[in-house]
Amino acid sequence: MTLSLCRRLARTGMRTNRRLYLPYLLTCAGMIAMTYLISALSESAVLGAMSGGDVMQSCLELGLGVVTFFSAIFLFYTHSFLIRRRKKEFGLYNVLGMGKRHIALVLLWESLLSALISFAGGFLGGILLSGLGELCMAALLGGTADAALTVSPESLARTFLVFLMIFALILLDSLRQIRLTNPINLMRSEAAGEKPPHANWFLAAAGLLLLGAAYWLAVTITDPLAALLTFFLAVLLVIAGTYLVFISASVAVCRALQKNRRYYYRTNHFVSVSSMLFRMKRNGAGLASICILCTMVLVMLSTTLCLYIGAEDSLHARYPRSINLTAQAGSLSALDGDWKEEVRELAERVTREAGDEQKKPIDYRAMLFIGFVRDGRLLADPAAADGLGESAEDVWQVYVIPIEDYNRLMGTQMELAGNEVLLYSTKESYAGGDTIAFGDGPAYAVAGCADGFVDNGADAAQLLPSLYVFVPDLAPVNETFLEAEAGQWLDYVWTYAFDLAGSDAEQRALQASLEDGLAGLGTEESGVLWLRCDGLAEQRMGFYAMYGSLLFLGVLLGVVFVFAAILIIYYKQLSEGYEDQARFDVMQKVGMTKREIRRSVNSQVLTVFFLPLLLAGVHLAFAFPMLQKLLLLFGLMNVPLLIVVTLLCYAVFAAFYLAIYRLTSRAYCRIVSGAGEEE
Amino acid sequence: MSMLDVSGLNKVYTTRFGGNQVEALRSVSFSVEEGEFVAIMGESGSGKTTLLNLLAALDQPTGGSVRLDGQELAKIKESQLAAFRRDNLGFVFQEFNLLDTFSIEDNISLPLVLAGRGPDEIRSAVTGLAESLGIVKLLKKYPYEVSGGQKQRAAVARALVTRPKLILADEPTGALDSHSTDELLDLFSAVNRSGQTILMVTHSVKAASRAGRVLFIRDGEVFHQLYRGENTDAQMYQKISETLTALTTGGDRA
Repeated sequence: MTLSLCRRLARTGMRTNRRLYLPYLLTCAGMIAMTYLISALSESAVLGAMSGGDVMQSCLELGLGVVTFFSAIFLFYTHSFLIRRRKKEFGLYNVLGMGKRHIALVLLWESLLSALISFAGGFLGGILLSGLGELCMAALLGGTADAALTVSPESLARTFLVFLMIFALILLDSLRQIRLTNPINLMRSEAAGEKPPHANWFLAAAGLLLLGAAYWLAVTITDPLAALLTFFLAVLLVIAGTYLVFISASVAVCRALQKNRRYYYRTNHFVSVSSMLFRMKRNGAGLASICILCTMVLVMLSTTLCLYIGAEDSLHARYPRSINLTAQAGSLSALDGDWKEEVRELAERVTREAGDEQKKPIDYRAMLFIGFVRDGRLLADPAAADGLGESAEDVWQVYVIPIEDYNRLMGTQMELAGNEVLLYSTKESYAGGDTIAFGDGPAYAVAGCADGFVDNGADAAQLLPSLYVFVPDLAPVNETFLEAEAGQWLDYVWTYAFDLAGSDAEQRALQASLEDGLAGLGTEESGVLWLRCDGLAEQRMGFYAMYGSLLFLGVLLGVVFVFAAILIIYYKQLSEGYEDQARFDVMQKVGMTKREIRRSVNSQVLTVFFLPLLLAGVHLAFAFPMLQKLLLLFGLMNVPLLIVVTLLCYAVFAAFYLAIYRLTSRAYCRIVSGAGEEE
Repeated sequence: MSMLDVSGLNKVYTTRFGGNQVEALRSVSFSVEEGEFVAIMGESGSGKTTLLNLLAALDQPTGGSVRLDGQELAKIKESQLAAFRRDNLGFVFQEFNLLDTFSIEDNISLPLVLAGRGPDEIRSAVTGLAESLGIVKLLKKYPYEVSGGQKQRAAVARALVTRPKLILADEPTGALDSHSTDELLDLFSAVNRSGQTILMVTHSVKAASRAGRVLFIRDGEVFHQLYRGENTDAQMYQKISETLTALTTGGDRA
């Protein structure tokens, strides 16, 4: 037998089985494109240049591992389905006198051909997608990045190697299957009965346990950035748990239902439950994959969409006024210096010259430090606060502010005695007792809690809760820390901000002239370490560019994942169609009407289909606290908005999912009813 | 009146291209009395399976009629056909046609579950039947775990469980070894003795020799029929063989 014959057999085999092969090739190409896209984006300079891009890239990098693992499982699954359908053909070749070595050659050639097609299609798709992604992001970012169709050779190589390995493993597995069986078995393999799956209670319990642990982690993580590893542990646990639950727990549930005779021996349940048992065993992995993909899509879409919609909110939270000046002084005396008056006069003059006027001004001094709370004492030195930093409830961003500044800003007439303080906290409530002390200093009596304080951009930008301590005088507090040699942990900050009435362009011009003026003041000589000026109008463009590209990225990845989900769904419909074909026949002979069969099958298929969506919803619900905290990083505190957007995404996705189901179930019906008509 | 009455049955297949017409059955007429065990014999392609499909209302005749207990099959509505089949007919196939997703017990229960019977009724019917057929031990097993003979016993049980008027068996021994064939035929005889009407299509002389009457079909026509009368199985075997020889050598009607 010649090699050319093997090649021809491989080619005709693929062509005649194109209804099976085409989706397989599409799947391979899709997976390759997806892997390349994620890999390329994780290395993309455009994405890296975006603010927040580095976090996203490390997320993508970790996601790449998940996607690779996922591709391997999924391709094995689809190919095992393919090879089962083809065993009969190989058995026939074997009977007709073709050696197993030749069958192996045919298989090898088929694998090479399909790998070639998949790589070509996958890389083309991946490069186009990543190029499109980069171009769109570059456009959104307003030309801050080079807009060119770049190809990442490292990503190409990485993707190529990974998939080469997967294809090799798949080939080895099918060779092993061919080797182990004799021709008669090969020819019959399709009809061979399958062992009924036994409920593995241990695995089922393990799956639920893993999910529980993941959910617990997700709900209890307070700072997703500091606990990025824990975060990914939670993600991995969810993935593992989902697979176990779909593979084992579903079988266990079906088994339990079968034991209940009253439930089981009913026309509607009898066929459904027993075929579901087999279906879950074979398709559990596929369903779990769909579920995970759905969750990914939903998380990405809802967060990025929410960010985009809430951009204006975040912008105002981060920059409370049109112009925000922040200065850090080297000491308390420098903070009290006259240079502040010069800055105020300059700002006043510049505003006047621009024909605008300052509104709702914010102007206060503060001593800042990260405070560790122990026994009603606020410690600034992390060394002294040994071990306290571990638990987040004890750590606060502390602002010590003179009561006179508070009164001026809030328009109040609060009087504090020398040993009294007023407290105010954000994000969490402070429960440190009736007295509070700074370091080893004397205790102050807590005179009460303030009703509020002015918005603070720094507070919006971090996850740490803030504690405002309003004191009669900053000097004693400063002394206490300096004596304890904790002065290095203190920052002396002056905040000065005001609103303007002008348009964005006018505000940007005003900001520019203000910055020019500030540079000429020579505040460094007065002991000012730095002085920064942020304008709302100036930042607005950047915000929209960033959130726009985040949204774009979310949609892009969402589309890719949805594509993967569609392929899995199509495969499931196809494979189930072929499996149900014979069953359909028998049931009809035993006395079930076509309509009854179709209804029963439809209901199971529907159940099986909507389980992943349902579980994805549960995943999403438990991920919600974590998403909310992640969004806090972006200054988005609008929880109702997040809830609405998430629900909306879920609803739209469910509708889309239903549409996919309808479309793909046609393929199923064609196969099954084809069998019915062959009678 | 006969239980099953077949008169002037015609079936013409038209090939998809060219409109060639193939006459599968040509004015077939016969009747089966209640409690009879009838075998229909013929070569491959003689129209046996077509006949069986028509009797089961799985296919529509081109001409003629099939009546079961006086009811004409062709007049039953498509929507009621499945229920009719379920209630009146039991099927035994060459390839057993057990569903591999069900245990033997559930396979036997299937027609009753489809008919909407209660779980207790189903259980007592299935276990009672299983005892009389000697397959109690198999009930909890799955089709892939039992032998061909055992599968066919289970299939017979499934056919009997609804107490149908007529059992239609299509080459029931075709996939069995000789030992299992003997057992199955014993089972058929026993079931028949208890009053069950059976119509079996076969080309096994051995299987046919156990029947009370044998119909021979050649080229779509009933060619001959043999009654057992007082003959033993061995004599019946002898007679069937002779008839078949006559059939294949092209002799005229005896």
